[in-house]
Amino acid sequence: MNRRNFMKYGAMSAAGIVLFPVDLFADKTKTENKKHFPQPLSFTKKDGWKEFEISVNFLEHEFAPAMTIHTLAFNKSVPGPEIRVKEGDKVRVIFKNNTELNHTIHWHGIYVPWRMDGVPYVTQMPVMPGKEFVYEFIAEPYGTHFYHCHWGTLLHMQSGMYGSIIIEKDEDPIKKIFPYDREYTLIYSAHDVNFLRNELNSMLERMKERSFLMKNGRFSPERFNLFDTKEELEKAIENGYQPPYLVNRRSSAELPVPNWFTVNGKSYPSTPNLYIKEGENIRVRLINAGTENHHLHLHGHDFWMVCDDGVPLPQPWQRNTVSLSPGKTYDIIIEGKNRGIWTFHDHDTRRVTNNGLYPGGNLLALIYEDLPKEERMVGNMKKMKQKNPNTKINILPKIALDE
Amino acid sequence: MKTTIVTILILLIRTVMYAQVSPEIELGAKGVMSGNFNIDNTNTSSAVSDFSDSQLLLGFKQKLYSNWRGQMVFGLQFPDADSNLGQVFFNHIFLKIENQKNIIKIGRSTTQTILNEFPTLRDDDAMQFNYSLNPFSGGMNTQDNQYGNVIEYTHIFKQRYHLTVHGENFVNLSEPNNFKLNSFGTSFLYIVPESQIWNRNILQRIGFSYNNYVIDNFSDLLKNILGTVTLNLKPDPVHFIDLKLQTIYNVGFTGINDINNYSNYVRTPSFSSFGTVRYLYRKYERPLIQASLGFGYKSFSLANDSKQILGIFNVFYRLGENFDIGFQYRYTQNNGQVENLFGRQEQRFQIAFVYSVNQLFNSQFDDRNSILNLEHNYIK
Repeated sequence: MNRRNFMKYGAMSAAGIVLFPVDLFADKTKTENKKHFPQPLSFTKKDGWKEFEISVNFLEHEFAPAMTIHTLAFNKSVPGPEIRVKEGDKVRVIFKNNTELNHTIHWHGIYVPWRMDGVPYVTQMPVMPGKEFVYEFIAEPYGTHFYHCHWGTLLHMQSGMYGSIIIEKDEDPIKKIFPYDREYTLIYSAHDVNFLRNELNSMLERMKERSFLMKNGRFSPERFNLFDTKEELEKAIENGYQPPYLVNRRSSAELPVPNWFTVNGKSYPSTPNLYIKEGENIRVRLINAGTENHHLHLHGHDFWMVCDDGVPLPQPWQRNTVSLSPGKTYDIIIEGKNRGIWTFHDHDTRRVTNNGLYPGGNLLALIYEDLPKEERMVGNMKKMKQKNPNTKINILPKIALDE
Repeated sequence: MKTTIVTILILLIRTVMYAQVSPEIELGAKGVMSGNFNIDNTNTSSAVSDFSDSQLLLGFKQKLYSNWRGQMVFGLQFPDADSNLGQVFFNHIFLKIENQKNIIKIGRSTTQTILNEFPTLRDDDAMQFNYSLNPFSGGMNTQDNQYGNVIEYTHIFKQRYHLTVHGENFVNLSEPNNFKLNSFGTSFLYIVPESQIWNRNILQRIGFSYNNYVIDNFSDLLKNILGTVTLNLKPDPVHFIDLKLQTIYNVGFTGINDINNYSNYVRTPSFSSFGTVRYLYRKYERPLIQASLGFGYKSFSLANDSKQILGIFNVFYRLGENFDIGFQYRYTQNNGQVENLFGRQEQRFQIAFVYSVNQLFNSQFDDRNSILNLEHNYIK
C-alpha cells in the first residue's frame, strides 16, 4: 500500500480526528515539548537592576519538518527568549544588533519611559548594524506582555523578532481564584514567506549601501528617505524626489498574504502541546505577535478568560473560543475536567494550514497526561468502535499531513 | 491495444488529478527602439527605424525532488530585417535543472561565445570584436554567433568559480539541416554575484574559455581562446566606475592568407580586443545615468595589412523604472582586405528608447545569488 492509499484509509477510519506525531505520553516527548515554549532568559543583578542581554542575528529557522526559511531571531530563537520579572523590578536590557539591518525593541504594553519605547526616529535612533542600545525601565504593569522590533515592523515581526515578557506579582491575583502550578506561553504569528524572502533581500541590499555611505559621512535626506519636517519632504518632491511608496519607485502594490501560521515559531506538526492532568488548572498566556486575527477554539471544554492585555478581569468569562487580534494578549485558565486528547486551534481554518494545505498552521493539542492507557489514541484499534477490517491497520497513524 | 489506451487514459487522468504544483512564472521583455543615422566613407547616409534585439522571454520554474530546481524558458526575438531569419527568431527554447552547485542546460539558448556583458545599446554592437564568431555562418545575421542548440554543464565552487563544459550545434549555412554538435569547449570564470558588485574593491570578474569548432571532423578544429576581466575602478554605490576587457585569440587555420569572403574572415588567425569604461550614477538606489566609452581592435596575423578598429560611446538616462532613453555613437574602420567585406568606415548615430522588464509571478523560492543565500546559508 502506498502512502497516499494508506492515508486515505487512515482518514476514513479516523474521520474528523486530527492526529499528532509520536507517542504523546512518552517522557521523551514531554521533555522535547518543553523546548517548544519560550525559554526563560537569565539575568545578572547589577546595582539593583536585573540586567538581560538580547541580541539579534539571522537564523535558518524550521517552521515544520523540511520547511526552513531565513529569519531574524532574538538570541537565535523564534520567538525570542521569555523575560520574566517581578512587578516593580528595575529592568535593564542590553540589546546588540548583529545583523546588517536596523532594529529597535518596543516593549508592548509596558509603562516604559517614552525614550525607552523603541520607536525609531520618534523615541530613539535605530540601533544600527553592530551597535548596542540599553533599555531601562521599571517592570509594570503586571501581566502578559510582549516585545518586538519596531523597525520595518511589518517585515521584522513576521521575520521572527518577537518574544514574551511576563511581569509577575508575589501574590498572583489569578492564582487566588484558580490555583495552578503549570503555565504555558503561546505566541501566535503569521508569515508570508515569499514577502519575507523578497523584502529581506531588498532591505539587505539597501542597507549595505546606506551603511557604506553613512560610514563615509555621505548621508542625504532623499537617499535615506529621512526628512526633518513635512515641508522638507514636500520641497524634495517638488524638486523631483519620488517617495518609495509610489508605484513608479519601489512600492510592490501588494500587501503580504500569510501562508504559514505559527505558534511559538512552529507550525503543525511541530507545534507545542499543552499537558494537563485531571483536576488540574493550567494557565495559558496567549499573545498575538502577528498580523492576523486568530479565533482560538478548544474542543471538549470551556475555559476561563482571566486577563485581557495583562489586566486581570474583574469577572472571568467562561467561553470556548476567543478572538485574539493582532497586538492582544489574553490569559486563560483551562480546567482539567474532561480527559482525553483535545485540539486547540484557530477556527478560521485558513490558519490551520501549511502553504494552503490542511492540516497545519497553529493546530495543537491539550493532552491529559494521566489518560488511561486503554483510552490513548495510539492504542489498539480493536478496542475502538471504528473498524476497518480490510485495511489491516491496528493502530492509528501517528501523523497526518494529507486529509 | 485496448490496454495501452486505458493505460494512457489513466496516466492522463492521474496527471490532471495530481497537477498541484504551480510553477514560478517569469516574464521578461526588452524593447529596443532606435532611430539610426548612418554615414559611410562615401558620404552616403541612411536613416532607419530599428527595433532589432527586442525580445520576449517566458520562463517557468519549480522545485524538484532532492533539492533541485527545474526551469523551462521560451524566448523570441525580432532580428534585423536583412537577417534571413524571418520576422521572429526563437532564441530560447531550453530546459535547465540546477541546484546550489550544479547547472545543466539543454536546448536553444545563448552560447559560450562571449564571457562578459558590455554596456552597448544592443548586444551585437561590437560583435566582430567581442564574440567568438561562428565559422559555419555566412555572416548575414548576428544570431548565428549568439545562439545555438546547446548542452552545458556548470559546476560552481565557493559561490563564485564557475567551471563549464559545453557542446553546441551552431547554425551551419552550408548544412542547415545538420543538427550534430559542431562545437565544444570549456570555460572557467570567477564572477562576483550581482548583488555584491559595487562593494568589491577591485576584481569583479575574470576568466577564460577554450572553444573548438569542428569544421569537418575532430582532427580539423578551429580553436578560439577567450579571456576576460572586469575591474572596479571606483567601487561606490552612487558613483560607480568599472573597466571591462575581453580578448579573443582565434588560432585559425594556416594557409588562409586572403580575407576575400566571410568564411575566410572567421577562419584566418586573428586577435581581437574590446574594452569599455563605464560610469554609473545611481540615485535613490536605482540607476539614473550611465555613460560608457568603448574601444575595439582586431588584427590578422596572416594578412598583415588588415585590421579593424571600433570606437563606441553611449549615454543612457533613466526616465522611470525600467525605461531609458539613450544615445550611441559608433565608429568602425576596416583596413586592408577586410575593407572589401565590410566597407572602409562607418559612423552610426542612434537615439533610442529601451524598456526592459523582468517580473516574477507566484514567487516561491530564492535565487542562488541572493544576499540571504550567499551570506546567511543557502536554503535548498
